[in-house]
Amino acid sequence: MKKHTSLLTLASALIVSLAGWSAPTAAADKPIKVGVMLPFSGVYAALGDAGRNGMKLALEQHADKLHGRNIEFIEMDTEARPDRAPEIATSLMSQKKADFIIGPVHSGVAMGMLKVLRNKKPVVIIPNAGANAATGPWCAPNVFRTSFSAWQPSYPMGKAALDKGYKKVVTMSWNYGFGKESLAAFEESFKAGGGKVLKKIMVPFPKTEFQSYITDIASLKPDAVFVFFAGGGAVKFVKDYNAMGLSGKIPLLGSGFLTEGTLTAQGDAAEGVITGLHYADGLDNPANHAFRADYEKAFGKPADLYAVQGYDTGLLIAMAVDQLKGNISDQGKLIQTMESLTIPSPRGDFTFSRAHNPIQTIYLRTVENGENRVIGVAAEALEDPARGCKMK
Amino acid sequence: MFFLKKAENWFVWIFFPLALLLPLFLEQNEFYVNKLTSVVIFAMFVMSLDYLVGRCGMITLGHSMFYGLGGYLFIMIAPEYEAVNFWVYTFYICVIAALIALVVGVIVLRTSGIYMIMITLAIAQMCFYFFSDSVEFGGNDGLFIFTKPDTSLFGLSFFNLDDPMHFYYFCLLSLFNCLVFWKVVTGSRFGRIMEAVKDNPARTTALGYNVFLFRLISYCMASALAAYAGYLFALQYGYVNPSMMSWQTSGTALVMSILGGMGSLYGAILGTVVYEGLHYTFEHLTQHWLLLMGSMIIAMVMLFKSGLAGVIDNLVERRK
Amino acid sequence: MDFAIFLVQLLNGLQYGLLLFLIASGLTLVFGVMGILNLAHGSMYMVGAYLVWYFFQLTDQFLLSALISAALALGLGVLIEKTLIHRLYKRNHLDQVLLTIGMIFVFNALQSILWGDDPLGVPVPELLSGSIHLTELVEYPVYRLFVAALCLLLAGALYLVINRTRIGMLIRAGESNREMVECLGVNINQLYTLVFGAGVMLAALAGVVAAPMISIVPGMGEHVLITCFVVVVIGGMGSIKGAFVAALLVGVVDTFASVLVPGVSSMIVYILMAVILLIKPEGLFSSQK
Repeated sequence: MKKHTSLLTLASALIVSLAGWSAPTAAADKPIKVGVMLPFSGVYAALGDAGRNGMKLALEQHADKLHGRNIEFIEMDTEARPDRAPEIATSLMSQKKADFIIGPVHSGVAMGMLKVLRNKKPVVIIPNAGANAATGPWCAPNVFRTSFSAWQPSYPMGKAALDKGYKKVVTMSWNYGFGKESLAAFEESFKAGGGKVLKKIMVPFPKTEFQSYITDIASLKPDAVFVFFAGGGAVKFVKDYNAMGLSGKIPLLGSGFLTEGTLTAQGDAAEGVITGLHYADGLDNPANHAFRADYEKAFGKPADLYAVQGYDTGLLIAMAVDQLKGNISDQGKLIQTMESLTIPSPRGDFTFSRAHNPIQTIYLRTVENGENRVIGVAAEALEDPARGCKMK
Repeated sequence: MFFLKKAENWFVWIFFPLALLLPLFLEQNEFYVNKLTSVVIFAMFVMSLDYLVGRCGMITLGHSMFYGLGGYLFIMIAPEYEAVNFWVYTFYICVIAALIALVVGVIVLRTSGIYMIMITLAIAQMCFYFFSDSVEFGGNDGLFIFTKPDTSLFGLSFFNLDDPMHFYYFCLLSLFNCLVFWKVVTGSRFGRIMEAVKDNPARTTALGYNVFLFRLISYCMASALAAYAGYLFALQYGYVNPSMMSWQTSGTALVMSILGGMGSLYGAILGTVVYEGLHYTFEHLTQHWLLLMGSMIIAMVMLFKSGLAGVIDNLVERRK
Repeated sequence: MDFAIFLVQLLNGLQYGLLLFLIASGLTLVFGVMGILNLAHGSMYMVGAYLVWYFFQLTDQFLLSALISAALALGLGVLIEKTLIHRLYKRNHLDQVLLTIGMIFVFNALQSILWGDDPLGVPVPELLSGSIHLTELVEYPVYRLFVAALCLLLAGALYLVINRTRIGMLIRAGESNREMVECLGVNINQLYTLVFGAGVMLAALAGVVAAPMISIVPGMGEHVLITCFVVVVIGGMGSIKGAFVAALLVGVVDTFASVLVPGVSSMIVYILMAVILLIKPEGLFSSQK
């Protein structure tokens, strides 16, 4: 009896594992294939979910602009693992023959993905990962980004800090690419304006025991603190900062991800935190109001930045397909069209730079009653310098 | 031949011809071949772990360090924009990895059991953080390999690394060679003494053998071949990343090896293929593939006493 | 670093260490008594945090939610032991490793299905939400002091249970010679079920009390798992006393290293472990022969 069950399990395991290999991929009447490579499990899963939801919402709303072509989504979980990125990218490009590939969230995954996809057939749209290099040295005609470069939200914050009269700051982030780039961008404008960085604290990723670092900050007594953290780490940092009694005494500034999609979990601890970002929940424009209402209706929870970026990715696809009357087979034309578009995003209209990164306004925001309220503009129509990009 | 046991013989005669012919039947696109290649490469890595754990009784959770080093060593020693000779650098990388293993081995082999698991993990984690925090090695985002090595031997060029098909067959050949290599090792006098070391170190010592030395040599061999697998993985897409060295990579390899049947060597191939196959199928089925994957692993461990190889063994031997 | 700041850092380190002890104690207990290597231990920590968040949403009562969560975790532990672990005692360690890795996958998936992937938070209970001024700038939240005290209390209780009660005697006897205990007519199965349940409950309890201080996120279990193993191994597998000393050591060393030698702070606990294992290959207080 036991033997039979074990045999059966073995057989089913083998069959299941073989069946996957031979799944047919024939396309019926040529829908537009959108390959999605986002993290749907692990630490970044919430970001992946929101991005996908936003994109689907945009494509559903603009279904009439697709000139009768259906959209077929092929979703792959990157698990935020860079070592799997080339394989998944190849799968979407060669096996699934995707027209567009959307992803990823994680900068390391972006590098692995671009290694395979640069200058290839599918058009890549990055809805989050902010590695400067993606629209810098590794920029390519077929790679677009609807989110930001790490440089963008942080660079204006140096000047914003000086404007507020902060001369000596401590900077802090996780010790990985995006964090380092964020701090470097902040320092660039902060030091140029005569500010002084007392200490740069790099926390090993993904460590979230911040208490000792915060105590260290207290002993340095800076005018302000500038940090980059996102997701769960941002929640923990802001809570710890508050719990150690520093909030209200040493102002906390950050790249906007510090208070994005995390405010419910942060609770009162986030009150008064000042951040710079290309979006704020409370932006007063019709596109944003409509988007937020629709998103909440469709998915039962409020939209966040990652949803907006996903939404704009969907808009970009829909508008490009619309302009080309549904015929996207000519890659050169498709890219040209995409370059020329102005995206009516909930964050305000934006266009693409020569390196295909959004030229966008960075807002200065502060947390009030559990919401990111806009208190000014940190930089109008800010363009990433795209250092190292050879594209014209 | 080397494959004495019936089940093993069966497996080799079914798997390798199948693997040889498979690309001809698959849809003609880059992905399938690339996927098969990465499975074959990982199987080599798992096999080296399988030898260590199953045949030498040295359980390590730091084997991914050598896998990752295989890729990073190439970046460290090869010039960036000049094609170097593949064979020469294969040799360099294996030798350097073995030397590193020699130093690491002297430290970790003082311990055994769970303590060895943890100290290997500790050293691998240090190595992981070294590359992940580094500036010159691309940190967390990893690095690209721009120039793939040239594979000519004595002026003759057999195959092209940039052609996925060529690369696949080369990796398959390497896997076969690895299997033969480990069979030769385990079948030799050295292997038999190693077996004695595993079963009863005290008695083997009493017989006058230097147990420590035997373990150390085994550790170096397995590490060198793990680095070779990592080197091939890095060359496949021309990309290295610290996540190759993460403890999750070691953990996954260990799971594949146990799943396949610890110590059976060919079970490493079986375990890798089945694990990757299930993973591939489930992730195309649902976003919550982890649930299916986890349940499947639990079901298999509850039902199979000595992994998949054990089941095949039972089937084949019973029909005698 | 002036003296006041030094004291605050020491407090940070001790408090982190005590929490680590609470998580690690279950792991070392289960290994010491049953010889089971439970890699899913971190998942239990995660389960505790998510459960308390869930019940807090329903009841708005932290204490009540904490009690329900702990009770459920005990039940979960007993269930896992009875259905799965129970069948693996005669198999080798590696099969247990495989089983518990499968369990990690399942728990992560269930977490994502049941509770979603957004970071979650639980507010600090009203009664303990104050804070104490330590220096002119630094305050210390009462809740963290409370957690530290609670961990100390539990450590004491564990010590008493193991050294002064009949069950504790059986546990100690089981550690040194399980066949003999069985021969003496003790129902070892029941003892094992109880110990495994207690181990799971301790991990979940750590998740519960940590919930107001941390962000509850997917993958939080695996992150803490490795640190826990480091603690348990430094202390000596199976030794509660060792785990206590090691947890405080790791907490304090990690805290000071992150400020004083930031360059190696990512590796410091591993360096610590490697050094200790080189000097004492069986950990500080090993109970295994």
